[in-house]
Amino acid sequence: MARVGFLTAGVLGLAGLVVALTSPHLAGAPVVLVVSTLTAVAAVAGLAAQPWLVRGRVRVHTGVGLAVLGLVVVHVAALLVLSPDDALFAMSPDGPTRARMALISLVLLVVVVLLGLARRRLGWAGPTFRLLHGGFALLATVLGIGHAVLTDGALEGWGTVVLLASGVLSVAGGAAAVLRRRPARAARASGTGRATVPPPPAPR
Amino acid sequence: MFVAVVWVVGVLLATSSLHGTGARDVGVRGNGPEGPSVAELAAGRCAPTITNPGGTNNYVPKAPFADPLGAGFTVTGTVRDEACRPVPGVRIQVWAQTATASEQRNRTSVRTDAQGRYRVDSDPLVAQFGEPNVHVGYDDPGPWRRVFLRNVTRDGDTGAQVDLVLSP
Repeated sequence: MARVGFLTAGVLGLAGLVVALTSPHLAGAPVVLVVSTLTAVAAVAGLAAQPWLVRGRVRVHTGVGLAVLGLVVVHVAALLVLSPDDALFAMSPDGPTRARMALISLVLLVVVVLLGLARRRLGWAGPTFRLLHGGFALLATVLGIGHAVLTDGALEGWGTVVLLASGVLSVAGGAAAVLRRRPARAARASGTGRATVPPPPAPR
Repeated sequence: MFVAVVWVVGVLLATSSLHGTGARDVGVRGNGPEGPSVAELAAGRCAPTITNPGGTNNYVPKAPFADPLGAGFTVTGTVRDEACRPVPGVRIQVWAQTATASEQRNRTSVRTDAQGRYRVDSDPLVAQFGEPNVHVGYDDPGPWRRVFLRNVTRDGDTGAQVDLVLSP
């Protein structure tokens, strides 16, 4: 199931790249705009894959998370190079709603990555960590995709379909991760599941 | 904590402006022209136009006069003073992104006619930083205060109206 999830994210990412590269919006566009668009498409695919990589693939999950953050930073940097005036205006308090969504999404993404990297040092209980790390990640994903959907550009038409499908996939991955844990927790509570405390040593 | 963050995000989004602070959809299918209201015009007291955030984005002084920008999209407007009287002969600069020219390069200046009207023809506008937008500025040295506006249009619009009210 998880494999289907992250493979679907990869297919959606490839579809997004094809849609963007064949869009008239990028025809003859400056290289920095192309870079900005493609990094955003790849970041969305990464975000859609992440919830499907939480179990048994933590190293990949960490790598993809860092890559997504890197892609988003390149996306923003390319926009700053393309038009500093417009980029700084977009990131200011006077910027449009879609830009504010992107800015909040980026802040949340940084928080999510830092939480992930500091998990052991934080020493939080599993459910607390998962609520904050996973919850903020989902919020960042929804806001990032909302930003992309509201942005006129290379991802209109079929691009919007790809973006919305990526959002649904991400939410579904989060829901699947939560649901996978519930039966195990319920089984432990009823005493029929795997023991969490080792049995006492047998008398000699 | 998570609920508090979601709440803060909701407030931040609810208090944001769809097109950016002070920007209006001035395209032919939008919310009507930028400029004084019918009531203001009838009363003969027009509120001065104020530069909006983003209005000076990619502004370059002294754009050449009547530089042809193409055809398919028309920016029109009337320039008035605070008594709603037309202001003839002032320089207006228009700049916007089209499919063939970036907002940094696609600009021209025109002068208002005897009725204070101006008109600029351009290739159709395309999205720039998320949506098509048109900049109109008054930057003539003279008795009036300079003013710069950034407003938006929609894909496929064929024109926009941006009226200005200058103040000393």
